[in-house]
Amino acid sequence: MTGLLDKLAVILRRDLLTALRHRSGFAITLVGLFTELTAFYYLSRAIGPGFRPDGMAYFPFLLVGTGLYTFFVMSAQAFLSAVQEAQQTGTLEVLMTTSTRPGELIILSAISAFAGSLTNLLVYVFAGIAIFQAAVHANVLSCVVVLILSLALALGLGIIAATFQVAFQKGSALVWLLGSGLWLLSGATFPIESLPGPLVSLARAVPFTYAIDGMRGALLDGRSVAEMAARVAMLALFAVVLLALGMVGLALSLRRARRFGTLSFY
Amino acid sequence: MKQVVFESVGKVFRHRPALFNWVGRERAGATVALKDVSFSVGEAEVVALLGPNGSGKTTTLKLISTMLLADAGLVRVGGFDALRNGSAVRRLVGIAVANERSFFPRLSARENLDFFAALDEVPRGERGRRLDEVLAEVGLEEQADTLAMKFSSGMYQRLGLARALIKRPAVLLLDEPTRSLDAGATAHFWNVVRGLGRRKTTVLVATHNFAEAAALASRVLLVHRGELLADRQLPWGLAVENERGGRASLGARAAGVAEELRALYFRLTGESDGGATERYKSEFEDAGEELVRRAGAAS
Repeated sequence: MTGLLDKLAVILRRDLLTALRHRSGFAITLVGLFTELTAFYYLSRAIGPGFRPDGMAYFPFLLVGTGLYTFFVMSAQAFLSAVQEAQQTGTLEVLMTTSTRPGELIILSAISAFAGSLTNLLVYVFAGIAIFQAAVHANVLSCVVVLILSLALALGLGIIAATFQVAFQKGSALVWLLGSGLWLLSGATFPIESLPGPLVSLARAVPFTYAIDGMRGALLDGRSVAEMAARVAMLALFAVVLLALGMVGLALSLRRARRFGTLSFY
Repeated sequence: MKQVVFESVGKVFRHRPALFNWVGRERAGATVALKDVSFSVGEAEVVALLGPNGSGKTTTLKLISTMLLADAGLVRVGGFDALRNGSAVRRLVGIAVANERSFFPRLSARENLDFFAALDEVPRGERGRRLDEVLAEVGLEEQADTLAMKFSSGMYQRLGLARALIKRPAVLLLDEPTRSLDAGATAHFWNVVRGLGRRKTTVLVATHNFAEAAALASRVLLVHRGELLADRQLPWGLAVENERGGRASLGARAAGVAEELRALYFRLTGESDGGATERYKSEFEDAGEELVRRAGAAS
């Protein structure tokens, strides 16, 4: 356990030092985040108070939806970038010859990558509440449960993106799908019930939908886990299945890359 | 005990053209990187894998480190099968790769080494002392806190050696280790590697430079187009034997080995392109003569 924490500490330190030494990148992320919040605030004002999706004011609805959606995409992207950069610089091959098991290494890197995405999400939501006065009625326990399951879901998606990158050098295709294709179906900016029937069914197969719905219920409506049992269970199911698929896929893709000599291909 | 064992190892790289390849000329095919290669290396041996570019040297090192898996045959390191027990093999092996950019550019040399040492499970309490040791060993003490992105090629190469040494591997793999080093740094590096042999570390050095092989190794494996053409003890290995059992015919034996390897290498490089051949020939002649001279002096 001490060894695991030690490894986690050096990975977090590496990423923190790299981020701090990229000062301009750090500042640009912060500016981008506030610009996005401002745009959504004025969009909700332009639409007016009459539009209340799922009985909620539109700005808090957007705040949770876009915040979580961005968190999922950024997590997968951060994970993919870590693998891509390691391939491009040649560190991936060397990392794969250390005494740390590849799966362990990937998960530790993921925790580090998620720390950044999670910080962004928390800054985004708290800034929305503090600066733009988004109304919340939080059930803290439900928020924590949904957040933990969302982290597991993002971890699974990140590992699958890494698997695509190692196997086909095309993890960016999955991130594109998450970033563009599923935007429509996730319910991030409007309730999925507004979509035509067949698309509503498709949207219910998108795991983000349950995370976004769950967090809205917990943070904006104060609902308990019991009141949201069905969507929390679906979220947990998606998280477990995607994590399992990701871990098996990654182990197979790494073995295949070792066999074909493509570990450092990109 | 044999630290590294290759039994009839084969490795083929298959190429598949891109899915939409109408603009390119890439064709499907296969490159035979290693063909039925067998050898073994004992504890504390310093062995050079000598051959021109594309002969299979790096592939051999990558198979030992588990970066690659063999298609045929058996690779065993420290008694562990590299295919079935990769984790155990990785605990024993340190590799200094030829790719000089395999570091985190915005971390210093010390931070990079600390990172890899933690992943190699070097205990936290010991890491500081070991970092200082290896940084001094490779001559990077003064650049320890410089960001890696500001390093020259030679400094990257030294840092790569430091990274491979920090876990104190039983088997050390070096891929073209002095490619970017100046003469002084090369001589220092050769001394470091010879010292490792005395510390019971098994060392395999991949090089196309005969002078380097002769200076470092007690044994040379001559590889070409994926085949092992020769496996010879060099006079330094013979010198060790002689220290134990008399110095009788060392000079003559050294000259014999040098001549044989010289003839083989001539033949081998004569098959590759003209420019390279001339360079290899002169390198080999210089190194061969030095080898014979030093062996004569020892006897």
